[in-house]
Amino acid sequence: MRVTEEMLAAYADGELDAASQAEVEAAIASDPALGRKVAAHRALKATLAGHYAPIAQEAVPPGLAALLATPAQDSGLGAAEVVSLAAARQKRGLPAAFRRWAPLAGPALAASLILAIVQPWQADMPEGYAGSDLAAALDTQLAATQADQAGTRILLSFARENGDLCRAWRGADSGGIACRDDNGWKIERQFALGAAQGTEFRQAGSETDLLAAAQEMAAGEALDAEGERAARARGWKQP
Amino acid sequence: MLDLLPRLRRFAIGLAGSRPDGDDLCQMTIERALARREQWQEGTRLDSWMYRIMRNIFIDESRATSRRRETFVDPDAGLSVGGDGAQEAAVELSLVDRAMAHLPEEQREAVLLVMVEGWSYKEAAEIVGCPVGTLNSRLVRGRDALMAMLEDAQCA
Repeated sequence: MRVTEEMLAAYADGELDAASQAEVEAAIASDPALGRKVAAHRALKATLAGHYAPIAQEAVPPGLAALLATPAQDSGLGAAEVVSLAAARQKRGLPAAFRRWAPLAGPALAASLILAIVQPWQADMPEGYAGSDLAAALDTQLAATQADQAGTRILLSFARENGDLCRAWRGADSGGIACRDDNGWKIERQFALGAAQGTEFRQAGSETDLLAAAQEMAAGEALDAEGERAARARGWKQP
Repeated sequence: MLDLLPRLRRFAIGLAGSRPDGDDLCQMTIERALARREQWQEGTRLDSWMYRIMRNIFIDESRATSRRRETFVDPDAGLSVGGDGAQEAAVELSLVDRAMAHLPEEQREAVLLVMVEGWSYKEAAEIVGCPVGTLNSRLVRGRDALMAMLEDAQCA
């Protein structure tokens, strides 16, 4: 009996019952081309799984998580918690392409990989806030004038829609976005950067993703050098 | 539901083809799931229920979009459709993203559900709402098309 393409793919996926499986195995034994096809199916699966895996490792955008953070009690949705789609789309349309941000990030842009996020915060601050070292860098460093070899580099600073000032930073192998509130620098996004565990399948992101996330959050342009200095002078409070 | 979000978001981005569109799809899915949560039956799987919602929204939305395109695009605008902006954006997409974008939606969702999200054929067929045999053949067509596109790209 002829083995169909469907059976071959199902065999590669481990979806066949024992009888059909034996049938396919017998066919493969007599026709190496079928074996190659099965190998190609499995390779494709590995490629796809590897390609999309990093997305599930990313921090979920705060807007999405917030939809579930305060579930409405009984009558469907609490309207206040729902960020409207139109607003989200409009915001995306405002700042032009990522290109405009690139010069600000300049030399720090490097081909790097993003893999996993989960990076517990330091213990000396409430959960979700930058620890003392990072907070010091966020408080004092200016993107335009920081030392080249600084352990933590500020990539850019911007204001988000509610007026809070936010800064994107990166260290040797991780980076993120933190926004200043009354308690300190609240970490909004974290990214693992760097080539440590990369495989050819996982080149899914980099500092570019970090900057794109910053662009998504920003209510307008990134701060220029003067704007940053002024913001630092105000202790990163809203103007 | 919160624990499901990273996976749902991955499926959304795979279906929609980009993070912003995927996040929109994810948001619509969460909103609809919250609004209809009485319809979810205790004891059944929450994840496949939400995948089904997402998949249905995606199919509805993309049908509506293509209808709008057919109906409202000004004939004179034809020349600028797919102009430089779109081309530049396409260059930034990876091979896999581009190949996936070329698949018909029914094949793309079958490929994603089984090969990325790890659902069995039977579960995937239930999410899509079609017989297992149909799912199986969509999957094979999608795989063959992907393999051909990725191979071509490597030779180019």
